Amino acid sequence: MIPDLLAALRSRFGNDIVEPETTRDETPTFWTPQGKVLDLLIYLKTGLSQPFSMMYDLTAHDMRAYKKDLNGHSRFDFQLVYHLFSFERNAFLRLKVGLEGEYPSHPTATHIWPSLNWYEREVYDMFGIRFEGHPRLRRILMPSNWEGHPLRKEHPARATEMGPFRLWDEKQDAEQKALQFDPAEWGLQTQSEDSDFLFLNIGPQHPGTHGVLRVILQLDGEEIVDAIPEIGFHHRGAEKMGERQSWHTYIPYTDRIDYLGGVMNNLAYLLAVEKLAGITVPPRAQTIRVMLCELFRIASHLVWYGTFAQDVGQLSPVFYMFTDREKVFSIVEAITGGRMHPNWFRIGGVAQDLPAGWDGLVRQFIEYFPRKLKEYDKMVMRNSIFKARTKGIGIFTLQEAIEWGVTGPGLRACGLEWDMRKKRPYSGYENFDFEVPVASHGDCYDRAVVRVEEMRQSLRIIDQCLKNMPEGPYKSSHPLTTPPIKKHTMQDIETLINHFLNVSWGPVIPPGEAMSCIEATKGWNGYYLLSDGNTSPYRVRVRAPSFAHMQMLPYISRGYTVADLLSILGAMDFVLADVDR
Amino acid sequence: MEEAVSQSIILSSVDKLVAWGRKNSIWPFHFGLSCCFVEMATSMTPKYDLARFGAEVIRGTPREADVMIIAGTVFVKMAPVIKRLHEQMMEPRWIISMGSCANSGGMYDIYSVVQGVDKFMPVDVYVTGCPPRPDAFMEGLLLLRDSVGKEKRPLSWTIGEQGVLKPAKISMKEQKRAQRKEMTTLRPPDEI
Repeated sequence: MIPDLLAALRSRFGNDIVEPETTRDETPTFWTPQGKVLDLLIYLKTGLSQPFSMMYDLTAHDMRAYKKDLNGHSRFDFQLVYHLFSFERNAFLRLKVGLEGEYPSHPTATHIWPSLNWYEREVYDMFGIRFEGHPRLRRILMPSNWEGHPLRKEHPARATEMGPFRLWDEKQDAEQKALQFDPAEWGLQTQSEDSDFLFLNIGPQHPGTHGVLRVILQLDGEEIVDAIPEIGFHHRGAEKMGERQSWHTYIPYTDRIDYLGGVMNNLAYLLAVEKLAGITVPPRAQTIRVMLCELFRIASHLVWYGTFAQDVGQLSPVFYMFTDREKVFSIVEAITGGRMHPNWFRIGGVAQDLPAGWDGLVRQFIEYFPRKLKEYDKMVMRNSIFKARTKGIGIFTLQEAIEWGVTGPGLRACGLEWDMRKKRPYSGYENFDFEVPVASHGDCYDRAVVRVEEMRQSLRIIDQCLKNMPEGPYKSSHPLTTPPIKKHTMQDIETLINHFLNVSWGPVIPPGEAMSCIEATKGWNGYYLLSDGNTSPYRVRVRAPSFAHMQMLPYISRGYTVADLLSILGAMDFVLADVDR
Repeated sequence: MEEAVSQSIILSSVDKLVAWGRKNSIWPFHFGLSCCFVEMATSMTPKYDLARFGAEVIRGTPREADVMIIAGTVFVKMAPVIKRLHEQMMEPRWIISMGSCANSGGMYDIYSVVQGVDKFMPVDVYVTGCPPRPDAFMEGLLLLRDSVGKEKRPLSWTIGEQGVLKPAKISMKEQKRAQRKEMTTLRPPDEI
């Protein structure tokens, strides 16, 4: 496919405009000069047959400290990386642009994809790269009075390098003042022809926002004229953290990104690491991974189910659903020893083999849970108030979903049967028999329908894991597996050395770049890793689904009421740590 | 008659009675920062049932709450908001720092995270874990409950000596050391 695509692009733009690069993950990758990038993006989105209609991700790398050869390509100070996706081709495309200078600037592409708005703001916030023509280029994750751009290599990583934190009274007042909302700054009118607008501040501390999210509403009576989500209150610097942790010791940080997804985050990260290292994971380890991921999908969906029902006024379901979540956690705990953040997958496999008696626990749950799901259907999904609060609310079409980068259940609720586990199988999902639930209206109720059905399908997958758990090793025998299987280490010098180095310094992953993309609980979760052949990544990019979904909030809540906003937020199923990372 | 009186009358001093009332109805503020909040919410569901200790009445506004549980990471961007919320709580008020991030920054020694909520607010109880299990959170709440029962506060600003006398903080690590030392056989990880 890469030669065809290259030929098509070159025949249109000329040979020196499109330069291919071979990367370790075999994603079609092209370099293009800065002046041509907008033309190229427009052509890829609209001109090409089988176009790349979704802007999956935009990020940058600070390459000033990168010492390794770049596969024959010249090194720029910064590089911007666009990731596009084509549903017709079932393929990603990576477009790279090199930028020179201390604080370079670049033309905005927000008129091509509206979803680029937040991504460009993020790149500006993190790297100081300016986007000319951007409608509102301001910080998005860091506080507005922050100095420096955290992901630049000269910015300190540790809080302890930056002096102790103090909050004296004047500073407190100044910070509070900086949080004041000024409609003019956002270009919002304060009145219409016949009425004054009310500006309502929700958050960052509010029971309905599921965490530290702030939404400012422009209201005409009860009706939402516009909404402005303000994020960044939960920014934990996960990407910068990757640049100082070893490849192995970064795993626990991934657990805490989508903190309801547990080990599923480990998987997204490790798939990228294993691509870089060239490790093939043995079937037993793959199946154990799949089983735990699906258990976590159920646990995460249960939290969503209960809190969503609570958001729209049903107080009791959440108590039942959290009780069932405890049942999932009793299995997770028996296998991994942890609850929410087991940190249990390893480079090349999992931490240890399944404990004796795991199958009994899983079987019990498989027998128990379908009955409860049926009960919940009656309790929640068929409840007339629940329906009244969610049907016909927060509608977006398939076209809009793709335009805004919506993935996961939100996309499937618009009628597109697209599940990464089916379409681009990873970790052995191709061996499982399950269906991809879809719905057609694209409203809050349909998003719920899809998730509820997904729990049933997850249960099917877990059942197949139980019945067909392969025998064999739970870790690969590849030398970069960390930590290597212990039983060999005391017998031969080669594995002893590997064990010692991988555990003390951490494994050295070969230089290159790789991206993973999995169907996580909230949507497509991907890790895009850049290695310079060291014991820690040169750059970790976490592409989290909730970020894209949250950006769409104003678009899908205009014209609805304040009460509907909570339905829309609830149906979105986001986690603030996944939005802000 | 005498028997009926002894069953229905308790003799106590007013301050002890007030302290007893306080310690058995500590109402938490509905406030959560990150992962820990999910575990805190779990402690209110049937398996753990925080209602046993009179602390399940979650309040949506700081003005009605007694205890603020810093459940999660304290972000630099969020710190002024947390402080403001704490200022809005009425006395008597307490703070539980839940989880490693709130205790000390934990595994997040990173530019956007305050290295412990006690850098700008007083803390009454620290609960360890990342995130702490609901049981651990409940143990913390019970410790706070004990300490609230022992606190000495003036009944009004005209009666008695002013100022709050709090009992000294205890280290559970020290207290449990002997018991933990006796645990020499642990269940191996390869069975459930």
